[in-house]
Amino acid sequence: MNLDLRVISKCIRCGNCRAVCPVFEEEGWESANTRGRIMIIKSLANGHNQSPEVLESLNACTTCGLCIENCPAGINPPDLVEVARRELASLGIMTEVQVELHRNILGAGNTFGERLDRLAWLHDRRVLKKKADYIYFAGCLASFRNPEISSKAFEILSRFGATVLQNEQCCGSPLIRTGFDASPLIEHNLREIDRVGAGAIITGCAGCYTTLKNDYPSQIDIISISEFLADHLQEMELRRLNLQVTYHDPCHLGRMNKIYEKPRQLIEAICSFEEMVTNRKDARCCGGGGGVRAGYKDLSLRLARRRLDDIPQGVDCIITSCPLCLRNLSDVSNDKKVMDIVELVALSME
Amino acid sequence: MKGAIQIFDRFHEIVNERVRSSLDERFCYASDASQIEGLPDFVIRPKSTEEVSRILMICNEFEIPVTARGAGTGLAGGATPVKGGVVLDMSSMNNIIEFDIENLQVIVEPGVVPEKLNRTLKSSGFFFPPDPGSSAICTIGGMISNNSSGIHCIKYGTTRNYVLDLQVVLADGRVINTGSKVLKSSVGYDLTRLFVGSEGTLGIITRAGLKIMPLPIAKRLVVASFDSAVIAGKVVIQIFSAGIIPSACEILDNTTIAVLKRCDPNLVFPNLGDIILFEVDGTDNSTAEQSYRIIEICAPLAQSIREVSSKTEMGAIWEARRLVGAAISRLDPTKTRVYAGEDVGVPIKQIPILIKKIQEISEEFDIPAMKYGHIGDGSLHVALFIDIMDPDQWERLKRAQEKIHRTAIELGGTVSSEHGVGLARAIYMRDQLGNDFLEIMQSIKRTFDPKGILNPGKLSL
Repeated sequence: MNLDLRVISKCIRCGNCRAVCPVFEEEGWESANTRGRIMIIKSLANGHNQSPEVLESLNACTTCGLCIENCPAGINPPDLVEVARRELASLGIMTEVQVELHRNILGAGNTFGERLDRLAWLHDRRVLKKKADYIYFAGCLASFRNPEISSKAFEILSRFGATVLQNEQCCGSPLIRTGFDASPLIEHNLREIDRVGAGAIITGCAGCYTTLKNDYPSQIDIISISEFLADHLQEMELRRLNLQVTYHDPCHLGRMNKIYEKPRQLIEAICSFEEMVTNRKDARCCGGGGGVRAGYKDLSLRLARRRLDDIPQGVDCIITSCPLCLRNLSDVSNDKKVMDIVELVALSME
Repeated sequence: MKGAIQIFDRFHEIVNERVRSSLDERFCYASDASQIEGLPDFVIRPKSTEEVSRILMICNEFEIPVTARGAGTGLAGGATPVKGGVVLDMSSMNNIIEFDIENLQVIVEPGVVPEKLNRTLKSSGFFFPPDPGSSAICTIGGMISNNSSGIHCIKYGTTRNYVLDLQVVLADGRVINTGSKVLKSSVGYDLTRLFVGSEGTLGIITRAGLKIMPLPIAKRLVVASFDSAVIAGKVVIQIFSAGIIPSACEILDNTTIAVLKRCDPNLVFPNLGDIILFEVDGTDNSTAEQSYRIIEICAPLAQSIREVSSKTEMGAIWEARRLVGAAISRLDPTKTRVYAGEDVGVPIKQIPILIKKIQEISEEFDIPAMKYGHIGDGSLHVALFIDIMDPDQWERLKRAQEKIHRTAIELGGTVSSEHGVGLARAIYMRDQLGNDFLEIMQSIKRTFDPKGILNPGKLSL
């Protein structure tokens, strides 16, 4: 297997990751912990145990990156996990869920295998421009599962001259996270982006953000919607809302790309804000990422419930800036509304 | 293992899904943070004393080795199942059973993580003092089994000083208690202290009564640098002679400082010499006075002295110090820290000699080393780091660690101050303790575990 033993062996098995791995906290087995995963990856690199059994460990990682923050040796375990998943997938060692995801995305251009119009949320296609400075990249979840959010996001961004891609496809994040090659999607989206000639892409999805930012060629600016809106506060007519909210840092926006302040600036411009118990680089994962919601829904929702324990008292709702976090937290939140940051801005603009 | 399926089923009857025998799970339990390896046949996560007792009855009947494990942060292979058999992962027994503040104690299960215990105790104004670098991860059971300590043991002592009572499952499944809630007792052999540091060779700890201490109100930190470890050592003795017992007294050499700065670029440390961190705790007045006296004593001999006044900076320094051992890869990506010869101790007067000799060993074998540790109690952590892809460096590392251990023994010291013996240091037991001592240990072992199923191969037993 093409796994770099030098990188893997930097892990000295100190176990610092044990203190923070959210999956381990739920499951309790060493194989559900970052250290165990690295030991399994090392065994794979040494040619041992290349069996589907290892997927139970490797595929249950949300790639949240809490372990990166806590690793004294400076290892990036989610990267190792993704490489191992890719190597295993290349040998045909993968779960049914991975197979289905792969089929859906490469067959229909979206995570769900939907054959419906991806731009169905767009009420009037005449607003689309052939050329624009900004592209709003909606992503699969917002396009097919949260069309009202894409619609609101675009309504706001179109005031700043944004357009959307005529034929946007999945950014490739779910494929990359679960061990597949996403280059056909990347090449397709790049052609679409080139056609518009925009200088920047704005996205409201943390998964799309990190993929566009880190897996696409770097000649184009990638901006998260909360960054963009926070930078244009003066140009929006926001009214103050009588709400007390908290903010859930999506792992792939916060820890992976260090976007912590702008979402908070935006929220504080609209309503009262209080931090969750763990926040910023220490923010607990919602449990949805890395293919865990798709592959291990029960585990994913248990992780989401743990995240709700971090909500401070007295808040009316939880704001986040990722449709996957939104879905996972919403699924387990009984008494607190979970809202996308775009919805909060739209509410303030009403 | 013969009859493995039937044995698995017997365990399954007791713990349901909390037993596994898949290769990938077993592989994850095949080592701790040391270089010792051994593949278990089964991994079991018990939840109660009764479950442990029933499991041991089966293991005793079929003579299956049993290795207890906490968080697997050990550095000597103590939790590595070198003879196969069962690994009992005790970290799921993690309940704090009772806060008995009025009796100055807590009752906990062995899987409780000390940092979590202390977070809970804080609101009552108390704490459990032993604080190994792995406090956020390791377990109380592992600490007891290795008699762990940490930077504060110079003032507060080791885990042994805090264990009042243990509930232990013996090899044949019987359950005993070794003490009670009284803070002292002069009745009978002190089995509690016997079990502390026994590394799971005499029984499986399933519950512990621990003495707790009031939290100090104030802390101060003085950072002083010295031309040499010899001068630093003299200063430490002068501070003791002045009637001051610092709550921590850590020496850090130049390489360690470079790594610390890489861990946290905001840390301000002098660039030259050996540094000592003196921490004092107590009340505002007592810490101010002690800190003043330490600065006064250091002044004629130190290159530089600085009192750290900000709590944030103090926290950052100790956090970086806690992680420094594993952080060498941040300074040099081609190097990895290997835990070997990392926990020697000598009488405190000998520390400067030990540091000098370790530097010579480092140069002789051309293996770079960070040297840091608790100069106030004579224990020194040596972090050897190598390119782990290079077999020649591995070979030299092995020879270097052998010489480090032998040097500690020659200086009247110990091969392990606080990490334990496990298998990594078992070969030095006879040289450090002598034949008669080892024979007595072996006969004690036979009394508790006649079939030798408990953590076989460890402690030279």
